[in-house]
Amino acid sequence: MSNLSRRDLFKLITTALLAISGALGLGALFRFLDYQTDPPLKTAFDIGLAEDYPAGSRSLIAEVPALLIHDQNGFSALSLVCTHLGCTIAQNGTGFACPCHGSRYDADGNVLRGPAQKPLRHLRVEVGSDQHVILHTD
Amino acid sequence: MKRLIALGSALLLLAIVAAWWANSRQPKPIVLIPTLTGKPEYCLTCHSDLPEISKSHPIKTFGCVICHGGEALALNADLAHSTMRGGANPSDLSVVQESCGGSSCHSGTAEQNNNHIQRVLTSVQATYAGAITNILYTYGAEGDLTARFGIRAVADAQVTTSTGVPALQAFDPAGASNPAIQKFAVNCLFCHLNAQPLPGPQFDRLSGCAACHTPGIGSLPPGQIHKLTTAIPYTQCNTCHNRGNYDLRAMAFVPRSDQPQAADRVQNYYQPIAQFTKCEYELDCIDCHTRTEAMGDGDIHSNETQIQYIQCRTCHGTPTQLPSTKMLTDPNDIAFRQAQLNPVVDLELGQTVIVTDKGEPMWNTRVLPDGTYQLVGKATGQVFTFRPVMGSGCTQNGIDQSSAYCHTCHAVQR
Repeated sequence: MSNLSRRDLFKLITTALLAISGALGLGALFRFLDYQTDPPLKTAFDIGLAEDYPAGSRSLIAEVPALLIHDQNGFSALSLVCTHLGCTIAQNGTGFACPCHGSRYDADGNVLRGPAQKPLRHLRVEVGSDQHVILHTD
Repeated sequence: MKRLIALGSALLLLAIVAAWWANSRQPKPIVLIPTLTGKPEYCLTCHSDLPEISKSHPIKTFGCVICHGGEALALNADLAHSTMRGGANPSDLSVVQESCGGSSCHSGTAEQNNNHIQRVLTSVQATYAGAITNILYTYGAEGDLTARFGIRAVADAQVTTSTGVPALQAFDPAGASNPAIQKFAVNCLFCHLNAQPLPGPQFDRLSGCAACHTPGIGSLPPGQIHKLTTAIPYTQCNTCHNRGNYDLRAMAFVPRSDQPQAADRVQNYYQPIAQFTKCEYELDCIDCHTRTEAMGDGDIHSNETQIQYIQCRTCHGTPTQLPSTKMLTDPNDIAFRQAQLNPVVDLELGQTVIVTDKGEPMWNTRVLPDGTYQLVGKATGQVFTFRPVMGSGCTQNGIDQSSAYCHTCHAVQR
C-alpha cells in the first residue's frame, strides 16, 4: 500500500466510483424494465383436496369467489360474480342474490330478476393427479 | 480530464443514491384491482380510511378511478389528483357522463330504467327553465310561459309528452336590458343541478347527482361525506328548496338564518309562509314525490307543475274513489329494485302497493287487510298508517283534490 502513488489512488477511486455507479445504474435499469404495473390476474385456484368436498356438498369458495358443487356428475362450479357489474353475489334461499343492484339467480345460475341479463358463469374444475381441486376462472 | 471523469462518476453515484433515497420514502402502494376494470389502482394507499360510498358501488367491484378519474398509479397526491373528474364532485353534470354513465350504469335506456343522466339533464331541476321563463315573462322579455332558455343549452330528440319542448338555448343575461332580469341572473343562476357551484367546499357537492344523493350528516356541511344514498332526508331537499328570504323590494337573496335546523321541523321547512298538512312535514319529501318528479321524465318542461303529479289523492284517494293500487306480480318490477336500493321494507311478490297516475309503484306503501294503508319512511324507516278519504266525513269535490284544497281543512298551525 505504501507504494501506491497519489495518482494510482486517484485512479482507483475513480474506477471504483464508476464501477459502483454503473452497477447501481444497471440494477435500476433492470428494475425499471422488469417493473410490472399490472400484476397478472390469478386464474387458477388450488382449493385443496377433493376429499374435503364430499359428494352432495355445495361449498362456498370465497377466494375465487365461486360455489363448488359435488354431485353425482362430479365436480362443477358456478362463479359468484354477478354478470351485471361484477359484484360478489351471496346465497339467498336456494339461489343467489346480488347485494349491489338486486339481481337474483336460481340454484343453477339462471337469471330470475334483473338488472343482470346473463346467467352466472360455469367455471372449469380440474382434479389433479395429487387429488387437489383446481378452479379455473379464465 | 480524469478529474472530470472522477467528478462525473461521483455525481452519478450521488444521483443514484438520491433517487434510491427518494424512492424509499414513497409509501408502499396498496394495490386494488377492481373486478369491473381489472386494472390496478393505488388510491387506497392514502384513502383506505374512506367508507364504502354505497352498497351499490362497492370498492372491490368499482375501485375509485372509474368514477373519479385521476392517475391510478401515482403516489404523489398532486399527480394522482391532477386528472380527477369534477374535483370533489365527479357527479357534476359537466362530467357526469364520463363518471356515472355507461349503458349498464346510469346512461342506459328508459326500458331498463337506468337512463338517469339523460333524464336529469333535461329535468327542470337541471335546466332551471321554469324560473328563467317566469322571470322573462314577468318582465316582458318573453310573450308567453313556454320555456326557451335553460342554464345551459339542452336538446331532446324525442319529445314524448304534450308539455315537452324540443330544446332550450343557454340563458345569457348579458343581453337582458331589464335590471331585474340581470339581478335574477346574478342572484339565482348558481342554483340547480347544472349550474356552476358557488365557490367554497360547502358548495362542492351541491350540483349534479350529489346534490341529492350525498346528504350531509349531523354537523357536517351538506355534501362533505363519501356517501351515495337513495334514502334522502328532507333536510337535503331543504338545502336548496328553502326559498331563503328573497326580498322582492331589494331583489336580493338573503339566506335563511335558521338553517340548517330550526326549533322544530315544520318551522324548518321551506316556504316559511306556506301551509302544510301533517304528512307534508312528518314525512320526507321522497316518501311521496317520485324519482320521475325529481329527476324528470326525459322531456324538457317549461316549469315544475308540468312534471309534478303527486297529490294528496294519490295515496288517500277521493270521497268517491280509492287510491289506485296494483299487486306486484313481475319480479322485474322497478319496485323491487327501488326497495333493494333502500331496504326499508321487505317487498315480496303478491303484495299490493299504491300506484301513481302514471302507474309507478309507490314501493314503500302497502294495502293492509283492513282496508287501511301503510307507508314506510324511506329515510327514517318510520311506519305510518293512514285511511282513505272514501268513507270519511270529507265533503270535498272529488275533482278538487290537490294539496292546496286539502290544506283548507288539514293544514297544521305554524
